[in-house]
Amino acid sequence: MMILNKIISFYYREYKLNLSGFQDILTNIIFFFVSIFIFIFSIGPDKETISIIGIGILWTLLLLSSTLSLRKFYQDDFENGNLLIMHLNGFSFGFIAILKTFSHFIFVQVPFLLSIPIACILLNIANDKLTYLFSSFIIGSFILSCLGSISSSMNLMNQRNFLLGSVIVMIFSVPIIIFSVGIVNLEENFNSLISILFGILIIVFAINPWASGLCLRIALENN
Amino acid sequence: MKFLVNPSKFNKVADYVFLPVLIASIILFSLGLIFAFYLSPDDYQQGSTVRIMYVHVPSAWLALLTYAIMTIYSVTGLAFRIPFGFIINTAVAPIGAVFTLICIISGSLWGKPMWGTWWVWDARLTSVAILFIIYIIIIFMNLSFENRIVREKVVAIFVLVGSINLPIVKFSVDWWNTLHQPATISKLSKPSIDPSMMIPLFIMTFAFIMVGLAIAILRIKTEIISRKSYLN
Repeated sequence: MMILNKIISFYYREYKLNLSGFQDILTNIIFFFVSIFIFIFSIGPDKETISIIGIGILWTLLLLSSTLSLRKFYQDDFENGNLLIMHLNGFSFGFIAILKTFSHFIFVQVPFLLSIPIACILLNIANDKLTYLFSSFIIGSFILSCLGSISSSMNLMNQRNFLLGSVIVMIFSVPIIIFSVGIVNLEENFNSLISILFGILIIVFAINPWASGLCLRIALENN
Repeated sequence: MKFLVNPSKFNKVADYVFLPVLIASIILFSLGLIFAFYLSPDDYQQGSTVRIMYVHVPSAWLALLTYAIMTIYSVTGLAFRIPFGFIINTAVAPIGAVFTLICIISGSLWGKPMWGTWWVWDARLTSVAILFIIYIIIIFMNLSFENRIVREKVVAIFVLVGSINLPIVKFSVDWWNTLHQPATISKLSKPSIDPSMMIPLFIMTFAFIMVGLAIAILRIKTEIISRKSYLN
């Protein structure tokens, strides 16, 4: 029961931190909407064109705005020593990575779920596509959280070029974008495409604790 | 075979091997270019543009081979704590990037007369472009960390994560319907290419391997020397 208490207190701390820094998450969402406006201004307000390429725009901007907050994934905990304290309390680095991934998914990605219907209205996407969009977004955003964990733990000691972390996430998210946009556009292939997406989720979720835990340990050993 | 994991033994072997490799690369390249330009026949459909194949295919194979070598050495470096693996990773990444770039450029020069376009978003072409960007990220990671130990281990982990892309590049022509043709030589049954074209192709492949080996020996020796001075 000790470990359960520790996990609960970990999430309580994450909740408190994210509540006090809620304007960061709101800034992400505002970035998302402003980019939608800019996209629509740049391609012109033609309803037909927008409804064709709307899904692609939505997924691109979700990806871009979720990479914005990567810098804060491990950096604060790393610099004030909390990662070391968690490890001394009996969490292995891989387990810390899993916990942080879930926390990132809950506190950063899930607020985007609320903004998707409004974005659908702006981009003229039909209502019956909303379920496909939600189901692909829940799986896809969890994959993005895992990738974000891997890339931000790699770049903990990287003082010069943090943009590299975003590039790593974006290059590995190519299959996610392909299959997620495919789910919404090709509704008759829903089952097969969502199975592929689940497969990617399982692969990434298996790699995540190994890679992030190793990177965290390397960074803490050589700090 | 200890020279594959031991820097000082590698230096000794490399001193013996370097000059023969250089001479062999020059001979094979001139022989291969003569074969490719004058002694090999035109294709009945593609005409003379088929000669681009003698640059395109070897560079693509070597781009994949370089990444596979980097993956194996990352495993040895991380699992068995052999630092020579990290030396190879740092030294070999730009060579692989250049081979991938040659593959992409020659492929698009071949695609314009044959397919009518420089570039299509087909599975094989996209995965090779991703391979190129992964090489670029590895090079940038090598430049942007200040702590050497962190840098080499993080790069090795990134190489391992990025090696997911290798089977996708190899099997993309079998899994999806692509404009790019499926494998004609590296398959289980008999190669479906005529010997008059296969001989120049193999000569060019060995020439590319020798050139890559010569550059790799130079870069690995430089890397070993720079690490020695770093330690002192």
